[in-house]
Amino acid sequence: MFRKLKGPVLFLLMFLDVQIIVGSTPICVHGHTGCQALSLADLFDRVIQHSARVHGLSSDLHSDFDQYFLPSKINRNCHTSYILTPNGKENAQRLAGEDLAGVILKLLLAWRDPLSQFHRSMAQHEDFTSFSGNKALEMSDMVQQLRLGVERVAETMHLLGMISNSVRGLISKEALGSQASGSEARSMTDQQLLYCFRRDSHKIQIYLKILKCRIAPEQGC
Amino acid sequence: MMKGSALVWRRTYGRLTSVLLLLLLSGRPEGASVGPPGKPRLIGCRSPEKETFTCRWEPGSRGGLPTQHALYYNTENSEKVFECPDYETAGENSCFFNKTYTSIWVSYNITVVARNALGNASSDSIDVDVMNIVQPHHPENVTVTLEDGDNPYLQVKWEKPHMVDTRSGWVTLSYELCVKREKDNKSELHFAGQQKHFRIFRPVPGEVYVVKVHCKPDHGYWSEWSAPAFMKVPDYIPREKSMWILLAVFTSFILLILAWALVLKKSSVKHFLLPPVPGPKIKGFDSHLLKKGKSEEIFSVLIGQGFPPTSDGEDLLVEYLEVSESLQQDPAATPLPEAKEQQRDWSPAPFADSGQGPSVHHTLQVKTGEESATRSVKQTQAFGGPLVTSSSSQAPKPDGKANIISSSSSLRPSCVQETLYVAEVLIKGLPPATQQDRQVTPAGVFPCNSPVDSNYTQGETGHSGNRGTAQRPDVSPSALKPTEYVEVQNVNQEDRLVLRPKAKEDIGDLWQVGLRGQEYSKVSEVINDHLLLLERGSTLAGPSCSAMEGTVEGRAQQQPAKPTLQQGLNGYVDTGSMLAPY
Repeated sequence: MFRKLKGPVLFLLMFLDVQIIVGSTPICVHGHTGCQALSLADLFDRVIQHSARVHGLSSDLHSDFDQYFLPSKINRNCHTSYILTPNGKENAQRLAGEDLAGVILKLLLAWRDPLSQFHRSMAQHEDFTSFSGNKALEMSDMVQQLRLGVERVAETMHLLGMISNSVRGLISKEALGSQASGSEARSMTDQQLLYCFRRDSHKIQIYLKILKCRIAPEQGC
Repeated sequence: MMKGSALVWRRTYGRLTSVLLLLLLSGRPEGASVGPPGKPRLIGCRSPEKETFTCRWEPGSRGGLPTQHALYYNTENSEKVFECPDYETAGENSCFFNKTYTSIWVSYNITVVARNALGNASSDSIDVDVMNIVQPHHPENVTVTLEDGDNPYLQVKWEKPHMVDTRSGWVTLSYELCVKREKDNKSELHFAGQQKHFRIFRPVPGEVYVVKVHCKPDHGYWSEWSAPAFMKVPDYIPREKSMWILLAVFTSFILLILAWALVLKKSSVKHFLLPPVPGPKIKGFDSHLLKKGKSEEIFSVLIGQGFPPTSDGEDLLVEYLEVSESLQQDPAATPLPEAKEQQRDWSPAPFADSGQGPSVHHTLQVKTGEESATRSVKQTQAFGGPLVTSSSSQAPKPDGKANIISSSSSLRPSCVQETLYVAEVLIKGLPPATQQDRQVTPAGVFPCNSPVDSNYTQGETGHSGNRGTAQRPDVSPSALKPTEYVEVQNVNQEDRLVLRPKAKEDIGDLWQVGLRGQEYSKVSEVINDHLLLLERGSTLAGPSCSAMEGTVEGRAQQQPAKPTLQQGLNGYVDTGSMLAPY
């Protein structure tokens, strides 16, 4: 009898194994030896460096725009306004790590499409040098990298038991939200887009730093 | 009269005062009239820790009346205008927003309005986002200490400005130092990153260091410089001591290695610097005896090996050709080499000066009459080989004698030595006068062909002063035909070449065989009295021979550089092998 079940059982096991294989990159908490993967602190450091670079690019592009275009009355309603973000230190510290990670991911997800759209429109601008065009492309790419990195961090935190909700749960909720604000995003002007993104990239950087100093506070806190 | 003048003075005084007052009143710099206040100007807003911020303005003209300033702001999200919550904390003409009123990532639109009794004046608005206006206070408690040791350095430490929260990650500060040396008056900027300490290595002794620090948030403005910290470096710091020690150790190490190498290779170094003087390589030679000066003993020792072999077959001895130079030509003069190139005098040289013992360097010499076309000695062969001599084609003069003074190197007590070196070195300074004796036997020289021996016949051409040879078959050079060959039979005890003429039929063979380079080589020329130019083994008479530059001066030298010189077992030169290349 068992021999008959052997085949289907193995088949089932294979599927289970896939699940394990996908998520089975060893995650080492800092301090463990013999582990070749990055520690959580290292992951955070990398992600924070990414976000710093993204914010720097957005600031450069924003100031470039100011040189070429008259600063018009900027509509300060960004398409990410619906995302509730803490706007003070105490507010940010009050948020749980999970929520903070969720906010970051939401922001990153919300900016994916507008940034690629921005890059395409930049290519058509004749007033801009290719330097600015390169910055826009780099910014768009780095935001994607940043998002993947933060997802990885969230996953790690989830595996370590720091957060209860997994990344997939966070993302899936926001996928709907981003589609809703898609029309709003398309109506933004470039200047407005840059203004909003400069702010949001700064938010992302600060939230990540807060998260890091809360979870892995060795260096730089 | 006095009263009248005083009155006048009073009046003028009063008038002057009134005029002055009027002038003063009218000369007000602000303007002639009161009016509404001038437009104030917003200088800017700054946040020291990203949690509060302060805005400052500059008031315009007051308009002659007391004016009041008010700051109004509204956030980006609403149109509701608020007034500044705190005008005092930050000083005059400032507005302080505390934590409750401060929101990050929110744009404030700020305006200042000046009011007086006569009117208002509002400044230009500015938009402020707190995230962009962060300028922290300067770092605190900057200390400099000198850390002693082998490598002394200055340790600079400081603390973060108060009120800035770096611990939670809300603000990230980077620090920078300015280090100035008072005497040098040069200042250096050192970026220190996020750390709160810094080391200055190799401080200059006797210098005074002035250190100050400032900081900057990630995206913001540099703070002001902190209060400077001073440090006087004492004079006694030993500098670069370790470097000298290292240098000394290194040098001594190298010297040790060199010395060790020298010791190991002592012999070869010594050989290189002081090449050894080659000693004699004569069997049975005893240098001590020579030093004593007893030549007889030396020679007896050298001889005592049964050499030279005595001649057994006296019947084989035909003659030996003794060729001596003619004395009549130059009886008194030294028989120097004549103008004719081919006449050479070789004097046997007692190489006594070289201290090598009996230098039996008799050179084989054929010298015919002066007007004859002399020929150089074609060949003097070692034992066993035909002695090829050439005599003059003419009838020799009675006194034209060819002295065959066999040459012998001093390597051996015999006169038969390296045949190649038959041409003997004319020792410089040797009295050619010794040549006068046809049979020269200077002391210590073995005459190879001493005529004293009676065991053999010598061919001597009527030489006077013979040593009393016994009978000699008259082998005068005249009897010799041109290029008549004589064969050296052997060498007798007294180093005489025992010769016999070769039969003509033999000669023919010789020409074919020998001169092809087996055993014979023709002497084509003699150069400089000590060079025999031997021809290559061919019938052609041509200077194709290679010059055998056998300058056997130091005859003891084996001349190992000559590959053709091979010594036989008993030290004799093997002619066969020698002349093989020919």
